[in-house]
Amino acid sequence: MSRELLAQPLLLVVGSGGVGKTTLAAAMGLHAAREGARTLVMTFDPSLRLKDALGVGEAARDRAVRVDVDTPGRLDVALLDARTTFDRLVRRYAPDEAAAERIFRNRFYDDLAGNLAGILEYMAVERLFEVAVEGKYDRVILDTPPTRQALEFLEAPDRIVGFLDSGALRIALKPWFDRKGGLRGLPMRLVGKGIEGMLDRIVGMRLLRDMAEFFQAFAPLFDGFRARASEVRALLRAPGTLFVLVSGPGEERIPDTLFFARKLTEAGHRLGPIVVNQSHPVLPPAAASATGPFAEGLHLLAYLGERDRRGYDRLRGLLSGGEALVTVPLQPTPPTDLASLEALGRLLADRLRAFAA
Amino acid sequence: MSVAEHLASQQLVVVTGKGGVGKTTLAAVLGRLLAAVGRRVLLLEVDPRESLHQLLGVPPSGGETIEAGPRLWLQNLQPRAVIEGLVREKVPVPMIAKKIIGSPVFQHFVDGAPGLREMAVLGYALRAVRGEYRRKVDMVVLDAPATGHGASMLSAPMLLAEAIGGGQIGAMAADLAGFIADPSRCGVVLGALAEEMPVQEAIELIALLNDRMSRPPEVVIVNALHPPLPPAKARPPAGLAPAVALWSRRREANERELQRLRSCWKGPLVRLPLLPLDPGPALLAGLQDRLRAELDRLGAGS
Repeated sequence: MSRELLAQPLLLVVGSGGVGKTTLAAAMGLHAAREGARTLVMTFDPSLRLKDALGVGEAARDRAVRVDVDTPGRLDVALLDARTTFDRLVRRYAPDEAAAERIFRNRFYDDLAGNLAGILEYMAVERLFEVAVEGKYDRVILDTPPTRQALEFLEAPDRIVGFLDSGALRIALKPWFDRKGGLRGLPMRLVGKGIEGMLDRIVGMRLLRDMAEFFQAFAPLFDGFRARASEVRALLRAPGTLFVLVSGPGEERIPDTLFFARKLTEAGHRLGPIVVNQSHPVLPPAAASATGPFAEGLHLLAYLGERDRRGYDRLRGLLSGGEALVTVPLQPTPPTDLASLEALGRLLADRLRAFAA
Repeated sequence: MSVAEHLASQQLVVVTGKGGVGKTTLAAVLGRLLAAVGRRVLLLEVDPRESLHQLLGVPPSGGETIEAGPRLWLQNLQPRAVIEGLVREKVPVPMIAKKIIGSPVFQHFVDGAPGLREMAVLGYALRAVRGEYRRKVDMVVLDAPATGHGASMLSAPMLLAEAIGGGQIGAMAADLAGFIADPSRCGVVLGALAEEMPVQEAIELIALLNDRMSRPPEVVIVNALHPPLPPAKARPPAGLAPAVALWSRRREANERELQRLRSCWKGPLVRLPLLPLDPGPALLAGLQDRLRAELDRLGAGS
C-alpha cells in the first residue's frame, strides 16, 4: 500500500519549523526517482549542505535544475523565491510591458509587497500550480515555507480572493490623486490643503500616493489573479493531492501535530501519513542506571528515547483512526549526500509499507 | 558592566531565533533570572497556542496578565486584540469604534498590512515599561514569534518608518525603531542550536542586526548541547556502544557548528546543556542556574 500512499501526483510536506521537512522532501524525491517517477522537489530554504548534496545552485531559483543522479526516473529541484515568482506573475498578467514596469518601479511594491502577509505562501502554491498544469512530472513534492503557522499558505488563495473582493480595493482604486499628486475633488484650495495636511500628519501623503499608484498599476491584473487563486484553491483539494505531515519527536510537539492534522482535515485536504521525524532510539535499561564517565550522556539519551516513545504512544492514542503514523529514527549525522538521502527515502517508504501491513 | 547587569538594566529584551531552538524556554529562563535579581518582569508571548504557562507551571493567560512568580508576570498577546484596543482608544465613540473593527476593510488591513502586527506588539511592550498599564513593570521579556525571518519582528518598525516617512504612524514607527536601535534600552538575545540550519540562521541574523540596524545582539545563547564525551580510552558499558556512538556524533556536530558560529560571532556567547527533564519549572530552574553561572563568567572576562 505504501507505493500507492506516496505515489500521488502532488505531495505537500507540512509541519512546524525545524522538524526536517526539507531533508525528508529531498529524500522522498530521490526515492521516487529511483522507483521510476519523473519527480520535481520544490523547496524554500535548503541548507547549504543539502544544496551541495543535490548539486543545485542559484540557477534553481529561476528554473528547475536536474539532479545528477543515475535513476530510472529523474529528479529536478526548484528553489522557491517569493519575489521572483511575484515578478513573473506580474509579467504574465500585465497588459503590456509598460504596465509591468510601472509596478516594478513602484516603491510600495519594492519595499513592502514581498512582506505582505501571505505573499510568500501564496507564491509557493502559485508555482506549484504552474508546474502541475505543465504536466511534465509524475510527482511533484512541495516543501512548505518555514513558518510556525505553515498552514497559512493553504489559506493564502482564499485570503487573496477575499482581499480582492473586499471594499479595501474599491477604495484604493478610486482616483484619489490628481496629476500633481494632490488629492482630487477637494472643493476649495484652502480646505483641500487642510485635509491633505491632516492626512499627511496621520499616515503621510507619500505612502498614500505610493499605495494608490501601486493598486492602480495592479488593477488590470486582478481578474487574472482572482481566477488563478480559485484554481489554486481547487488544486489543493484535488484527489491526487496528498499532505505529508512531519512532526518533531517528543510529547511537547504533540499539540502542534494534532493542530495541523485537525486544520488540514477541516479545510477539506487529504491528510496522508504523519511522520514523527528524528526519533531517538529506546535504550536498554542499563543506560538509565549507568555510572562513571558515560553516565551523563547515557542518562540523557535514555531520557530522550523514553520521551520520544511516550510522545509516539500519546499521539497514536489521540489520533482518531485511519491515519498512517510512522517514526523515522534520528540519523547520527544529517544526510548530506545523495546516497544517504536516498537511504532515508527508502527507509520512510519501508516504514509506510510495514505500517500498512 | 557584566552582560547580566546590562540585560537587567534594559527595558525590553527580545528573545529571537529560528523556530525549534527553544526560544520560549529561553525567554522563560531569562524572565525568571531577571526577576530573581530584583526586576519586575512581564513575559510576553505572541503565539496563539500558549505554552509559556506550562513551562512556568501556572494557568494559561488567555490574554490576561497573570502572576508567574515573585516579580514575574506572564501575558499572552494577540496582535489583533492590541490593534483593536488601539482603535477603541483613539475613537472615543464606542459605536463607531465597533463599526470600524467589524468592517471587512479593517480586517483585511490588519491581516495584510506589512509590519503592523509586529509594531502593535512592540508598541504594547513599550507602553508597558512606560507604565501606561495597570501592572507596573520594570521590563518586558518578549518571546518573539517564530517566523521565516527571525529578524522581521525587529526590523519591522525601521522598514515601516522608511516606507512611510511621515505622519503619526510614521512617527510611531520611527519612535519604535529608535527604541530598538538603542542598546541601552532594548536588548536582543539570540537563541540558537549548534546544528547546521539554526547556526546558519543565527549568522544571517547577526549580520542583519549589525549591518542594517547597527546593533549586534547582547548575547547569543546556544541551547540544548549534548554533554562532552568521556576520554577516548574509556570503554562504553556493554550493549550501549551504539548509544554512545549516537551521542558522540551529536556532540561532534555540536562542536563543529559552535566553531562555525564562533568564527562569525566574537561577542558574548552562552552554552546551555540539553537536560533530561520534561518542559516545566524543574527544567527552568536547572537552566537558570547554568545561565546565571555562564553570564557571570562572561562578566568576569569582559
